[in-house]
Amino acid sequence: MNANTGTDILEVEGLGVTFATDTGDVPAVREVSLQVRPGETLALVGESGSGKSTVALAALGLLPGNAHVSGRVAVGGTEVVGSGEDTLARLRGRTASMVFQEPATALDPLTRIGRQIAEVIRNHRPVSAREAAAEAVELLRRVGIPEPERRAAAFPFQLSGGQRQRVVIAMAIANSPELLVADEPTTALDVTVQAEILDLLRELAADSGTGVLLVTHNMGVVADFADRVAVMLHGEIVETGPVEEVLLRPRHDYTRRLLAAVPRLTVTGPAQAGSTAAPPTPEDPTDPASPVVRLRDVSVQFGHRAGAVRALHEVSLTVGPGETVGLVGESGSGKSTAARVALGLVKPSGGAVSLFGADLRRTRGRARRRLLSGVGVVLQDPVASLDARMSVAQCVAEPLLVHRRDMRAAERRSRVADMLERVGLEKKLAARGPRELSGGQRQRVSLARALVLEPRLLVADEPTSALDVRVQRTVLEVIAELQRELGFACLFVSHDLAVVQQFAQRVVVLRAGEVVEQGPTGNTLLQPTSEYTRRLIAAVPVPDPVVQRRRRAERGNSTALAGRGVTA
Amino acid sequence: MSAVLRTAAPAAEAISPHRLSVRRFARNKLAVGGLAVVVLFLLFCFVGPLVWPTDQTHTDLTQVNLPPGGAHPLGTDAVGHDELGRLMFGGKVSLLVGLAAGILATVVGTLWGAVAGYAGGWVDAVMMRIVDAGIAIPALFILLVVSAITTPGPLGLIVILGLVSWLVPSRLVRAETLTLKSRDYVLTLRAIGGTHGRAIGRHILPNSVSTIVVAATFQVADAILLVAYVSYLGLGVQPPATDWGGMLSAGLTAAYSERWWLIVPAGLAIILVVCAFNAIGDGLRDAFDVRGRA
Amino acid sequence: MDILWFLTRRVLQALAVILIVTVVVFCLLHALPGGPARGILGPQATAQQIAAFNHEQGLDRSLPVQYVYYLGTLLQGDLGTSYALNEGVAQLIGQRLPKTLVLTVLSALVGLLLAIPLGMWQAVRRNKPVDYVVTGLSFVAYSTPVYFLGLVLVLVFTQVLRWFPSQAPQGDSLAQVFADPAALVLPVVSGAASMIAVFSRYMRSATLENLAEDYVRTARAGGSRRGAILRRHVFRNSLTPVVAMLGYYVPVLFGGALVVEQLFNYPGMGLLFWSAAQSSDYPVLLGCVLVISVATVVGTLLADVVQRVIDPRVKAGRA
Repeated sequence: MNANTGTDILEVEGLGVTFATDTGDVPAVREVSLQVRPGETLALVGESGSGKSTVALAALGLLPGNAHVSGRVAVGGTEVVGSGEDTLARLRGRTASMVFQEPATALDPLTRIGRQIAEVIRNHRPVSAREAAAEAVELLRRVGIPEPERRAAAFPFQLSGGQRQRVVIAMAIANSPELLVADEPTTALDVTVQAEILDLLRELAADSGTGVLLVTHNMGVVADFADRVAVMLHGEIVETGPVEEVLLRPRHDYTRRLLAAVPRLTVTGPAQAGSTAAPPTPEDPTDPASPVVRLRDVSVQFGHRAGAVRALHEVSLTVGPGETVGLVGESGSGKSTAARVALGLVKPSGGAVSLFGADLRRTRGRARRRLLSGVGVVLQDPVASLDARMSVAQCVAEPLLVHRRDMRAAERRSRVADMLERVGLEKKLAARGPRELSGGQRQRVSLARALVLEPRLLVADEPTSALDVRVQRTVLEVIAELQRELGFACLFVSHDLAVVQQFAQRVVVLRAGEVVEQGPTGNTLLQPTSEYTRRLIAAVPVPDPVVQRRRRAERGNSTALAGRGVTA
Repeated sequence: MSAVLRTAAPAAEAISPHRLSVRRFARNKLAVGGLAVVVLFLLFCFVGPLVWPTDQTHTDLTQVNLPPGGAHPLGTDAVGHDELGRLMFGGKVSLLVGLAAGILATVVGTLWGAVAGYAGGWVDAVMMRIVDAGIAIPALFILLVVSAITTPGPLGLIVILGLVSWLVPSRLVRAETLTLKSRDYVLTLRAIGGTHGRAIGRHILPNSVSTIVVAATFQVADAILLVAYVSYLGLGVQPPATDWGGMLSAGLTAAYSERWWLIVPAGLAIILVVCAFNAIGDGLRDAFDVRGRA
Repeated sequence: MDILWFLTRRVLQALAVILIVTVVVFCLLHALPGGPARGILGPQATAQQIAAFNHEQGLDRSLPVQYVYYLGTLLQGDLGTSYALNEGVAQLIGQRLPKTLVLTVLSALVGLLLAIPLGMWQAVRRNKPVDYVVTGLSFVAYSTPVYFLGLVLVLVFTQVLRWFPSQAPQGDSLAQVFADPAALVLPVVSGAASMIAVFSRYMRSATLENLAEDYVRTARAGGSRRGAILRRHVFRNSLTPVVAMLGYYVPVLFGGALVVEQLFNYPGMGLLFWSAAQSSDYPVLLGCVLVISVATVVGTLLADVVQRVIDPRVKAGRA
C-alpha cells in the first residue's frame, strides 16, 4: 500500500508470533504486515487477544522469552527480529521508544523519577550525570509536570496516574526517537486525564515528526489521534485504511460489527435515554415513600486519625422501584463506595441508609438477611467474581442455598437451569468451572446468580468495563431484557458516560466523594449544569474522526478560556 | 504481554486447573525425585523390617562396634544392634513423629491464622502479637528448658514439637485469609446476606487448601529436622527405642575413632528425607502457584 | 509525622510482644516442679525451706499479684541468681551476650554477603544447571542439623586438612576473641550455612518476581542493558522484602548459636544456657530465654525500621 518503503520508520512484514505455554503453543500473531511513516500515527485496533499488543512489543524486540518470532521487523532500517541484545539496546530509547499501558507499575518504585529519565539519556549519549539531570528536568517541563525541578526528586508513588504516564512519556522522548510505540497509553486513566495525555502525545509527535504506532481498543481514541487504522482479529490484520475510511465507511464485516457495538455518547440533539433499557414506567422515582434504596447525607471515612481518607461526603441519592440510576464519576470519586454503602458492605460514618424502607444500620440477624434477599449484585472483575472451585451451577445456586434452604434439590436445579437459559448460557456450561469460560460468559453467570432470587434491586458495579465492546453490548442487552421481564430496580455504577446514557433513566455524577449533580439522564448529560460534568463530557472521545476533531477544537477553546483546566 | 497469554491460553486447550497443577508438578524433577525419596524411605522403614528382621531391644555385647560387612551390611553399634535394622527402627520414630508434629502444627496454625485473619480488628491484633511473642522465643531454647523439666514419650514429643512450630503456618494462613475475604465472590455473598460460616466454610477454607498443603509439607520437613535436634538436646525417646537424631548424637563421640558407620547413615537419612520434603513443598508451591516460603 | 506515628505504633507493638513473652516465662517458672522456690533454692531444698521461702517472697499470694511483683523485679534489671554458679543472672548474661552477638552477627553478615549474590545469580540463570546445583546445595545445607554439619567440618578441616583449630577462641574479653580469627572460621561457617540456604532462596524468588515487573520492561525499552537493570533497579527492589525477613531470622540465629557454641566450646550465652540446662539452673535458663526474646523483638523492630528507610513508599505510610 506504500510503495516507498525506504522512508518508513517502522516496517513489519509477514510477522508471526507463537507463545510456548503450559498448555502448548499458542499462535498470537499471523502474517502481519504494516508500515509507519515519519510523522504519521497508525492505530492498531482490536479486541483483547487479537494480538495487537504482541505486535507492539515485537516492534522493539521486547517479547518474553517464550515467544517464537518469524517474519521481518525493521525500525529505521535496523533489523529487529534475530538481532542480539546489543543491537536492540542501541535501538531502544533512541530510534524507537515505548509508552506502556499501566503507569502504576511502569516505573521503578525505588528510584527517583529524574534519575530514571537521566538513565535513558545516558544510555545513548555521552553526557555527564549533571547534564543528564538538567535535561531530565527540562523533559519533565515539556511533558507538563508542574514544578519540574522539585518533582524530579520525587518517587513514582508520590505522583498521580496521569503524572506517572507523563514521566513514562518523558523517558520515551528523551532522545527524540523517530518512532513511538504506545500500547494502550490511556486505558488505565480517567477520561479527562486521557484527553490531556492524548493532546500531549499529539503535540510531541507533531513537533518532531515522530511516527507513532498506537495500540488501542478504544475507537474514540482512534478517532481522536490516528491518521491510519489497521484492524486486527485473531492475530491477523483484516482491514487497513485512513481513519475516516475505516471508522465511517468500514469495508470488512468484523470492523462494521465492532463499530456498531461501540457505545456512543450522544452529544447533540435529543438523546434517546434508556434506548437499550425500557423498563415499565417507573412509579414516581421522586416519591419519597417508595424508594427501593435511599442514601441520605451519607459520609464515609477510611482509616483513622492521621491516615483517614474521606471517601464520601454527605451523599444523598434514591433509586425508585423499577428505575435504573447511573452512578458516574472518575476513579476516586467514591462511586463504588456509594454502591457498597447501599449493600451494607461499608458502614457509613454519618447519614442514613434505607433499603426497601428499612434502616440498614439498625436491622440485624434474620430480618437483615430477609432484607438482603431482595438484592442482587454484579461486580466488575469477571475473574474474581466467581469462586474458581465451584461449578457454574453451584455459583448460581448459592443465593438459593442462603435464602431458600427448604427448597428441594430438584427444584433448585431447575431454577438454576432456567436462570442460565435466561442469561443466554448453554446448558452444557453448567457443569464447567469459571476458568473455562470467557469474560463475557463469566459476567452472565454473575448476573444469573444475582437474579436467581428475583431481587427487587440489582447493584451492578462496573459490570461490563472489563469486557470487549461487543461482549459488553450483549451483556447490557441481557440485563435490560431481564429488567423488562422481572422489573427490578438497578443501581448502575460506571465510569463510561456513553453506557450510562444508554442504560440509565437518571444519573448521579460524583466527584471526590460529593454529588456534583443529578437528574434525568437526557437533561444532565446533554445540558449539564455543572462545570465538572461539562468537562467530563467534553473529554470523552467519540468514534467519529470528523465530529471528534470539532469537539477537540471546542474543548481547546474552552480550556484556553478556563485556564489550564484540570491537571492530571 | 501476560495479558496476551492469559486470554490466549484457554483457546489453546481447555484444561482443568487441577490437572494443570499435576502436570506442572510432574515436570519439576527435583520435586518428583523428592517424592520418590520419601516413598522409598517409608518402604524402607515400615516394610524393611519384614525383609531384614533384627533384634533392636536386646543388647548383644559380643557383636559390638563391628565395621560394615558380612552379616551386618552397616556394621553394629556400641551395644551390638545391627545398624541397618536400627536405621529402619529409628526411622519409624523420626518419620512418624515428624509427620504428626508437622501436621499438628499446620492444623493449629491454620485455625489460629484463619480466625485472626477473618475476624480482623483487635482480635487479629492480639492474636498476632501472641504469634510474634512465640516467634521471638527460639524453639531450641524452649525445647532445652522442657528437657530440663521432663522427658516426654513419643506422643508428648509430638505435642511439644507441634506447639513450638505452629507459628509460621498461622502467619501464612492469616495472610491468605485476608486476601480471600476481600475477594469479590465473598463480598457478593456477604452483600446478599450470606453468613460468616458459609463464607469461611464454602469459600475461604477450600481456596486456602493449596496454601495449607504447601505449608504442611514444609512443616513436616522442619519437624523431622527438629526431631533430630531433640535427641541432641537430651529430650529424645528413651532407649531401647531410638530415632535418627538419637543414633546420630549417640555416635558423635565415635566420630573421632573412625567409626563412621555410626553417624554417616543416620546423618544422610535425615538430610535426604528433609531435602525430599522441602523439594516436594517447592514443587507443590510452584504447581499450585501459591505464595509460601521461598 | 507519618514516620513518627509508625514508630510509636511499632514500638508499642514490640512492648506488647515483650509483655506476652514475660507472661510465658512466668508461666514456665510456675510450671517447674516445686515452682520458682525450687528453681531458686535448688534441687536439694527441703519442703520446709520451700514453704518458708514461698511465704517470705510472697509466693503464696495469687498469681496475678506475683506476676506484677515479678515484672517489678525484671524492671529493676534483676533476673535472679544462678544457684549453680552463685552469681547474678544479669551479670552472667552481661558477660556472655557480647560474645554470642559477635558470633551471630558475623554469621549473619557472612550468610547475607554470600546468599544475596548467589540468589540473584540463580534468578538470572533460572532453570540452568547452575540454578539446579545451587538449589540442591541449599536444600542440603538447610536440611543438615547444625551439630552434624559442625562435626563434618571439624573432621574435614581439623583432622584431615588441619587448616583451623577445632576449638573456638577462648577467653573472657572480646579482644581475646578477635585475637584468634582462624579459630572463629568454623563456628561462623556452621552458623551461616542454613542462613545462606534460606536467604539465597528468598533472594532468588524476589529477584525472579522483580524481573517480571513492568518497570524492567520500561528500562529495557529505554535501552538499558541487562546488567545495568539488575544493578540499578532489580537489586534494590528485591532486597527490601529480604530485609523484612531478616527480623524473623534472629531467633533461628540464636538457636544456631546454642548448638555451635556447645560444639566448639565457645564461652557465649549458648554455652551458658547449655550448662544451665544440664544442672537444671532455672533462673539462668529463663533469664536467657527472656533476654534472647527481647533481642529478637528488637531485631525484628530494627529490620522493620530499616525496611521503611530503604523503601520510600512505606516511609510515607502508603504501601
